[in-house]
Amino acid sequence: MIRLQHVSKSYGGRPALKDINLHVALGEFAFLVGPSGAGKSTMMRLLYREEVPTSGSVFIGGVNLNRLSPRQIPLLRRRLGIIFQDYKLLTRQTAFDNVAYILRALGVDEKDVRKRVTSALNVVNLEDKADAFPDELSGGEQQRVGIARAIVNGPPVLLADEPTGNLDPATSLEIVQLLSRISERGTTVLISTHDHTIVDAMRRRVIALKNGELFSDVDSGVYDMDLTAV
Amino acid sequence: MRQLRILARVVVETFLGIKRSGWSNWLVISILAIALTIFGSVLQLTMSLKNLVNMWGSQLVISAFLSDKYEPREVARDVSQYKEVRLVEVITKDVAWEDMKKTLNAASISNPLPNTLHVTVNRADQVEALAPKLKLLPAIEAVRYPMMVVKRINEFRHFIEIAGVVVTGALTAATLTVIGNTIHLVIQARQKEIEILSLMGVGHFYIKCPFVLQGAFYGAVAATLAMLVLLTMHMYVIQPYLSQELASIAPLFPKNWGYNILQTFTVMLVLGVAVGAGGGAWTSGRYIKI
Repeated sequence: MIRLQHVSKSYGGRPALKDINLHVALGEFAFLVGPSGAGKSTMMRLLYREEVPTSGSVFIGGVNLNRLSPRQIPLLRRRLGIIFQDYKLLTRQTAFDNVAYILRALGVDEKDVRKRVTSALNVVNLEDKADAFPDELSGGEQQRVGIARAIVNGPPVLLADEPTGNLDPATSLEIVQLLSRISERGTTVLISTHDHTIVDAMRRRVIALKNGELFSDVDSGVYDMDLTAV
Repeated sequence: MRQLRILARVVVETFLGIKRSGWSNWLVISILAIALTIFGSVLQLTMSLKNLVNMWGSQLVISAFLSDKYEPREVARDVSQYKEVRLVEVITKDVAWEDMKKTLNAASISNPLPNTLHVTVNRADQVEALAPKLKLLPAIEAVRYPMMVVKRINEFRHFIEIAGVVVTGALTAATLTVIGNTIHLVIQARQKEIEILSLMGVGHFYIKCPFVLQGAFYGAVAATLAMLVLLTMHMYVIQPYLSQELASIAPLFPKNWGYNILQTFTVMLVLGVAVGAGGGAWTSGRYIKI
């Protein structure tokens, strides 16, 4: 589902990623780990085509992202669900409207919007908070709204960029377990994190970056403490 | 159906954007309305002056003096074929001489006057073009016309037209700046929302179109306000006072006001919407990086 071939990215001559080769299959659940500056965020931005690699190719579902025209980028992003560390919720809209926003913008019929948003809020166990505004929700609940928004359009790939960065350990684990359950329904989930607690608790595939290079790729791993000793 | 729903959402987003802009909406609309009021006044004045100039101009007569070898009515028929000519009046030498004798008491000499044609043109600017053409006809020995009056009328008309274009251009530039700044503020207020929409895969049309429509809305409202100002001025100032006081220059005011007001409103509306939408498109293109 996700494939990177000899991908390098540099900013003004300073390398952020160096010759990365990677494949994440359909329905797979994986962590992308590494200390700050390892290249995790750069790789995420390449995957949702916020940036293009300096060399090499990035594929999502067989589509080479390097070749997308600006007009095709929205079409790619509709096939991705993106989850952010800071949730990126619209503060003046309820949880329901935050999740519904994208569907309405895509011209989905209001009846269908209600059905799909209710279903997405059920998945994240927030059906009773549908009318709450973001500032009435806890951090974990806000992130669950973010997840509901990411899955409401039924994307085959979920990209989560430090989704637990602002949450306490218990809530973090709850969020990652939720993403794991979503993955079991056939969605590819890639979580970028430097939170070793959740990585160690889940024992899933761990792709480790260090100084922009692929440091390790383990099918059922833990957070390698060598990563922190830069 | 899906496209219609998207369009409906775009309209909703537009009005939410207008609502969010608060007092700055009135700032933009006021400035644009002032600009359009001035533009509309210039337009009305220009149209009125054109009417006036054409009215004066059409009264300007070229006098063509004929050779005695030609029959004046035949020459008149030839001259009337020119497209610039509205009317040709034949003054035979006998008629002219009889008139002159009445005032000069010159009965004892033979008639020295030529047959004359008084040629009236359709428009003032045609006088200078037609006179040399008439002079080339073999039957016509000389032509006379009030050249300086025609020149000055045309110069004044050109001046008004150029001044109108310059004033409108300057006001349009000022208005574009104000619209740009207002929509820039709205874009900044919606930056987070725009970023989310972009990352969720919403198309450029949905993201940028509300700003274009917001600008067009400003233009339409401002044009309507400007028209109300012009109508009020006409109904309560020009009609009751100036038209009577300045009855001698009545042609300065449009004869057919109803037609002119509709024409002026149409031009103002088109200009207002174009400037507003253009400002919105330019600003959203510049500040929204998707």
